[in-house]
Amino acid sequence: MSVQNQSSLPPEGTKDLPHFVSDAPFDLRSVEKLTPEQEKIYFASQLTLMWWKFKRHRVAVWSGIFLLLLYGSVLVSEFLSPWNYQTRHSKHIYVPPQSIHLFHEGEFIGPFVYDLKRKLNLETMQREYTIDERKPVKLSFFCSGEKYHWFGLIEADNHLVCVPKGKPFYVLGTDRLGRDMLSRILQGARISLTIGLIGITVSFILGIVIGGLAGYYGGWVDMIVQRVIEVLQSIPTIPLWLTLSAIMPPSWSPILIYFGITVILGLLDWTGLARAVRSKLLSLREEDYVLAARLIGAKPSRIIGRHLIPGFMSHLIASATITIPTMILGETALSFLGLGLREPITSWGVLLNEAQSINVVAIYPWLMLPVVPVIFVIIAFNFLGDGLRDAADPYK
Amino acid sequence: MTRNLKKFISISAGMLLAASTAFAGPPEEPRVLNFDNLEKEIGQSGGSIRMLMAKPKDVRWMTVYSGARLVAYDETFQLKPDILKEIENVDNKSFTLHLRKGHKWSDGQPFTTEDFRYWWEDVAQNEALSKGGPPRQMLANGKPPKVEIIDSHTIRYTWDSVNPLFMTALAGARPMYIYMPAHYLKQFHEKYGDADNLAALVESEQVQNWSSLHKRFGRQYRPENPDMPTLQAWMNTTKLPSERIVFKRNPNYHRVDPNGTQLPYLDEVILNMASSSIIAAKAGTGESDLQARYVRFDNYSFLKQGAEEGGYNVYLWPSGRGSEMTLLPNLNAKDEGFRKAFQDVRVRRALSMGMDRSEINEAIFFGLGREASNSVLPSSPLYKDAYGEAWIEYDVDAANALLDEAGFDKRDDSGTRLMPDGRPFEIIVETAGELSQETDILQLITDHWKDIGVKLFVKPSQRDILRGRVSNGETVMSTWQGLNRGLATPEMNPEELAPVSPVQAQWPTWGNHYASKGAAGEAPSLPEVARLSELYQNWRDAADYDAQAKIWDEMLSIFTDQVYSIGIVSGGLQPIVVSKKLRNVPEEGIWAFEPTLYFGQYLPDTFWLEK
Repeated sequence: MSVQNQSSLPPEGTKDLPHFVSDAPFDLRSVEKLTPEQEKIYFASQLTLMWWKFKRHRVAVWSGIFLLLLYGSVLVSEFLSPWNYQTRHSKHIYVPPQSIHLFHEGEFIGPFVYDLKRKLNLETMQREYTIDERKPVKLSFFCSGEKYHWFGLIEADNHLVCVPKGKPFYVLGTDRLGRDMLSRILQGARISLTIGLIGITVSFILGIVIGGLAGYYGGWVDMIVQRVIEVLQSIPTIPLWLTLSAIMPPSWSPILIYFGITVILGLLDWTGLARAVRSKLLSLREEDYVLAARLIGAKPSRIIGRHLIPGFMSHLIASATITIPTMILGETALSFLGLGLREPITSWGVLLNEAQSINVVAIYPWLMLPVVPVIFVIIAFNFLGDGLRDAADPYK
Repeated sequence: MTRNLKKFISISAGMLLAASTAFAGPPEEPRVLNFDNLEKEIGQSGGSIRMLMAKPKDVRWMTVYSGARLVAYDETFQLKPDILKEIENVDNKSFTLHLRKGHKWSDGQPFTTEDFRYWWEDVAQNEALSKGGPPRQMLANGKPPKVEIIDSHTIRYTWDSVNPLFMTALAGARPMYIYMPAHYLKQFHEKYGDADNLAALVESEQVQNWSSLHKRFGRQYRPENPDMPTLQAWMNTTKLPSERIVFKRNPNYHRVDPNGTQLPYLDEVILNMASSSIIAAKAGTGESDLQARYVRFDNYSFLKQGAEEGGYNVYLWPSGRGSEMTLLPNLNAKDEGFRKAFQDVRVRRALSMGMDRSEINEAIFFGLGREASNSVLPSSPLYKDAYGEAWIEYDVDAANALLDEAGFDKRDDSGTRLMPDGRPFEIIVETAGELSQETDILQLITDHWKDIGVKLFVKPSQRDILRGRVSNGETVMSTWQGLNRGLATPEMNPEELAPVSPVQAQWPTWGNHYASKGAAGEAPSLPEVARLSELYQNWRDAADYDAQAKIWDEMLSIFTDQVYSIGIVSGGLQPIVVSKKLRNVPEEGIWAFEPTLYFGQYLPDTFWLEK
């Protein structure tokens, strides 16, 4: 009988105990009654628990929302950007960021920018732009502007914001060929953000499969995998990237090069994950529940997939969210060195590569703005990963 | 007695001192510069300036900047004796060279006709040192000159036929050296050197034989060897490679200022090495006293901004190149499809007409350049509008029509033309990868060419690698600067217009044929190119200025009409960073390798530092 009944036992030595069977319905929790709140927690599913726990990590939630918005923008980059990222405005080269105004001569006329007057300064060889306060250029929303091919497929000309043709609207300025920085950053996000996802997929599949095999089987499989990983990890990454990206022929289309680079990043990244998976598996496979599963005849794939991997899901999630920013940084670094993506495709790395000159630092600092999204995305991913890791272990 | 002795000693010591100072100094008959013509002021001796360079090889610019040549161009581009006291030219056939009395090498040894004899007999005609025999400029009609040594200061070269190349070669930015410091180099020469000593040197320097040794230690254009005596204004004192290369003034230099003070004024020129991409940044903080190399027009605004704080001025000198950048279609490409395509003049013209030069000019050159073909500049006496404006009009329809006509009329789904062999017409343009300006221009051209159905890919590499690929015919198209002699006069060598060298990226194989005297490469198969070779030969046989001018005319007209190199914009501006303390650097000048030798024309030996 259960421990709870001990207290109701008659004192020692009592004779002739009457036979007693309680006819009240059996209730396990009769002594410690759960409050409805407790019930909610005790009967909640794993996912719900994770969600509750995650919600309590405020910064992680905000980071998640920020990233969701960014990834959402990737779907409609062309719509969000006022211009095509490759359109050159040869009359508006090196325009500094413009500000958006609401009141013109004390009167509210809705968001607008002022027209620009350009002067070539032959003394300093700079293009000087002055605001023409008499000419407000009103912004229109959800309008037709430059034509573009959405994802290279569907032709459209809808933009969130536009100005009349030939008028300036460069919230983040323009570069040396008169291309709008805002549009370039928005469309660069498409490459920079997705390169992490594709790369992480490749690296995850490789890491889990190879690490899983090594950890579950041990022995010579493990031996070989370990040696391969050691060799791969001992190769300095940057020269390896350089070689791999140098062998991509220059006549490949930018899209192929993009995939090539994601695959390169993924192929080089799986080793750390495989090691982690292996060591976790090595310890977890000695647990009783694994033995039980094996005894009732479960196959290795089921044991790994169903019993072992969920046991360290939190670790996987954390390393995934930390790897995505490394991939983004990897792409940025490669492109910054001029060995990753190339024009005409654009990414944050490509943009930063163009900004690495003393002229930019001294005279055109707004061209360094792509640094800002890189920093924010990486911080956001780190917070999100932190929150997810805590949430994946809700009982801690 | 003792007092007398002391006196005697002090006197003799004084005499010794006087003797040793007489040991170093200008020749007895120095070249006295006339500062009035040159708008220069008398300066003070002493001081040292810093320049920034990127590679150890850049020491060669000191030979160019320094500008001492046997004969040199004066400010009106006339050839005048410089190291020589006099040169007597009889009909371009016989040249009598008079050396300056008392002229000494930088190490104090006399500079005499023995140095000329040594080069002609023991170097130029030595199988091991000059594999193909004497340089072409020493041959007229294929025959070497008769060399007469009249005395220790006079030497005469006589050819049977005219040799107009002789004088210009001596005055070149990379001159033909017809003299070598015999007293120094003999130790490395099989004929004179001690055999055991030579063998030991070959061993310790890890070279193949004595001739490599002689070449390595005897470089005059690239003063790498600090022991090698020189006649230039400054001599290298640092063993390469080094991060800091110090050039010291040559105590025996042959030029003096109007007051008789020996030049150069500056005691030292220090070359500090830095990565080429940060040289502009360093110059902008005043880390260089005289800088033009590795500083580009797009750095001008930045340099100007830091001028006050950095204590320097920035001048803009127009470039003397025929074009700031050209595209060179390889008529000898190994790839047969491209070879055929580029040998068709219609394709070359279409590519030239398919680019919007005014946009390039506006975006890259601030609208200050001149949209032009790769030809001589308007300030050259040879210029004609027909050359400068040949096939440069932006005309997409005409370009498309030309390409259709040339058999590139089929297109793939993306609108790219197909070559007659079925491949898409995708041109890979290789660049030396040094200038971001090149990539920007190519980016613009990529977009322009889309409209004529031609795809362009940029492949940046490295200058020396690109050179190698060019001479092997592996490039399809490459970028290079335009004609070096954009300010050509009829007397200047028109070699850039004809196939003469395997590094000419539009016809390396044909050029190699000429350079190897027929041993390698192939003779030009296109009649127009063959005509250029012939004309070049004619120029070398031309007796006078008018005949030379006529040949230049015809060569320029073929060269520009056939679009062997696609010029883009000419008349770019070169920023010159000059320390405020450095005087006598002209505010206006022309930045060109030839004929002005970059700074050489403006006499850097007269530059001086204000204290």
